[in-house]
Amino acid sequence: MRFRRHRTTSRRWVVAAGASFAMLLATGGVAVGNAVAGSSVARTATTGVTNSQITIGATVPLTGPAAPGYSEIAPAMDAVFKWVNANGGIYGRKIKYIYLNDKYDPTTTATLTRKLVLTDHIFADVGSLGTPTDLAILKYLNTEKVPHLFIESGCNCWSTSKYPDTTGWEPPYTVTGKVLGYYIKTHFKGKKIGELYQDTEFGQDVMKGINLEVPSSSVVSKQTYDVTTLSGAMTTQMSALKAAGAQVVVMATIPAATALAILPAYSIGFLPQYVIDGVGADPPTVGPLLSSYTTAATHTKKEAAAATALLDGVITNLYQPPESTSSNPWIQVEKKILQKYTPTLWAQHGLDGNTEYGVALAYTFVQALQAAGKDLTRTSLMKAIDTKSKSFKTPGFVPLNYSKTVHYGFEGDEVAEFDPSAGTFTTPDGTWPDAKVVSPVYVTTVGSGPVTVYHGKEPGVPSTLRNSA
Amino acid sequence: MGLFVDILLSGVAQGMVFAAVALGLVLISRATGTINFAQGAMGMFTTFIAFSLLTHGVGYWPAFVAALAMGFVLGAVVERTLVRPLRGKPALNPVIVTIGLLIVLEGVAGSIWGNVARGFPAAFSQRGLVIGTTRVAFSHFDVFIVCAVAALVVAIVALFRWTDLGLRMRAAAFSPEVSQLLGVRVGRLFTLGWALACAAGSLAGLLVAPLSSFSPYYMDLNLVYGFTAAVLGGLLSPVGALVGGLVTGLAIAFVGGYVGPDLQPIAALALLLVVLMVRPQGLFGTTEVRRV
Repeated sequence: MRFRRHRTTSRRWVVAAGASFAMLLATGGVAVGNAVAGSSVARTATTGVTNSQITIGATVPLTGPAAPGYSEIAPAMDAVFKWVNANGGIYGRKIKYIYLNDKYDPTTTATLTRKLVLTDHIFADVGSLGTPTDLAILKYLNTEKVPHLFIESGCNCWSTSKYPDTTGWEPPYTVTGKVLGYYIKTHFKGKKIGELYQDTEFGQDVMKGINLEVPSSSVVSKQTYDVTTLSGAMTTQMSALKAAGAQVVVMATIPAATALAILPAYSIGFLPQYVIDGVGADPPTVGPLLSSYTTAATHTKKEAAAATALLDGVITNLYQPPESTSSNPWIQVEKKILQKYTPTLWAQHGLDGNTEYGVALAYTFVQALQAAGKDLTRTSLMKAIDTKSKSFKTPGFVPLNYSKTVHYGFEGDEVAEFDPSAGTFTTPDGTWPDAKVVSPVYVTTVGSGPVTVYHGKEPGVPSTLRNSA
Repeated sequence: MGLFVDILLSGVAQGMVFAAVALGLVLISRATGTINFAQGAMGMFTTFIAFSLLTHGVGYWPAFVAALAMGFVLGAVVERTLVRPLRGKPALNPVIVTIGLLIVLEGVAGSIWGNVARGFPAAFSQRGLVIGTTRVAFSHFDVFIVCAVAALVVAIVALFRWTDLGLRMRAAAFSPEVSQLLGVRVGRLFTLGWALACAAGSLAGLLVAPLSSFSPYYMDLNLVYGFTAAVLGGLLSPVGALVGGLVTGLAIAFVGGYVGPDLQPIAALALLLVVLMVRPQGLFGTTEVRRV
């Protein structure tokens, strides 16, 4: 009996000793961490934030079918963070941006996001790209209370009370659809409308906006495509739109799909007025895809010119200044940052729709960090976005519109036409027609509310940015 | 009526491209009894070589011929280095190796030429021909596609039917051991089979690139359709591959035009399933015992 008791006691002692040793290790760890950081315990308690660094992450397609164009955004964002770091960081903290390649595959997105949270201990997920991909991590990040910020997608689904740690950034697709629909309704009255859209939330949300504005009796044909199998010319869809007599074709397409639609349409002699959602209308992104007509040795010069001119006269929407306006101070600053902090990307693409997007989005995050203040926590960051975003300075035509209940971002834009007579601009990918503004800036909501003209002033470039870039 | 004609014509042009892919699969299946899942990727790779030549100022036709020649060489090299060592091993082994090759080629092409989608030039105008007063969905380039693939099929049928070399290739495929005993250099003929198949794949790659979003992945779906065409045609018959290609091309064009483009791959798989259940030997196959 005694012997057994003794053993029991001995085992207890071992357990107790083990536990206190573990505690010693744990507290020791904190103590060492504090010694290095030289600061209070409360601050180091926020995951991904130390006194000298903020670690953030994202999942983006760097290879695969969705990569063309979109693979430029994260490196462009990183250029902004490098500019921040070169200028002393934010409250002394430098930004470390870890972006991983999910190839636009939601399963991979889910795996990599768990890695970012569990292994890399990110403070926030910033600028992850895509609707299906971000839907795959929405619930997880909200459960873990990791801010899921500025998603690179205009899905209507980023603003719900169920997921308070998630926010969109670019205008919701239904808002861009409503503005384009309003323009069609007022400028192409009585014309037959055809629709071509990607059969996902992106295309459906844009068309929801279009159909809220355009009378349904004027829509003669609705065509779709499947993005997962997109590889060949969409001859069948364009033939159907031609057969239905469409005079105006509205498209919600990604850049590759735009080219694969307007090329075969041209081939069958179908030249309608195109109205293309901004996602798939950026000339330096779509233009190279049209090069198949310009490089063939056996083509006549006349034909090659006709093919490259397919983007002329296309109507689209813009929510920040087009890259062609070289006199715009935002555009000038964006070019400087890209040139200095990501020279490789700059040499390859210069300032196009994607690199411009990345710079503007990253600069939004930088201002959110500044607004959150010195004692940075996830709660203080979300609160700063919810309450102070309207005063953030961005290249956007309308202010960011985040609040406790609405998490979309920009909720307005303007309509523009690609018009070579207005001028041209050159990027490493070629020479493109300028975008001529053809409407005032509009604001509206994703619901059935009206489209109204926005009268506010565009914010200028903050002097800190202008002087240090 | 206009829509029907457009769908019919674009179905024919697409079908001929699938036939070229199927032809490559058939040649390899005949030579070494393997399904080459890298058939599309090999065509993609040689078309990228042509792309490089074009961007360095080489003319279209020299680049075209160079890509076909590179396809021939690539096929031979793959057979000698990757497929030959697996002879006599389980039939699944070379299949797995070709899947690996597919991934490697797409990865290498991506790292050399980038993953951006681009355009690729066509040999002739891609504007639809004007018939009567309407412009139809069939261009000079589509005429060239039909002629090029038809010529390839005729050449291969002629090779097998009427030449000594073709006879030896058929013998080597039919019974390698007996052929070897009779003095036929079986190994060389297998290499030749792969080389020809990959040249056919290169042709398919060059023909379909101008109609596609040209990236390292542009042949993936074409391989699925080409495989459907090959199975439809019986996997062993060049004429079967041609007919299979046309049937597949027309089927998916009509499904796309009248039902919905998102159902095209499903239609191809449904077609494949029906053929495998109702007539597993394909339209032109004989009921011999085969290992797949």
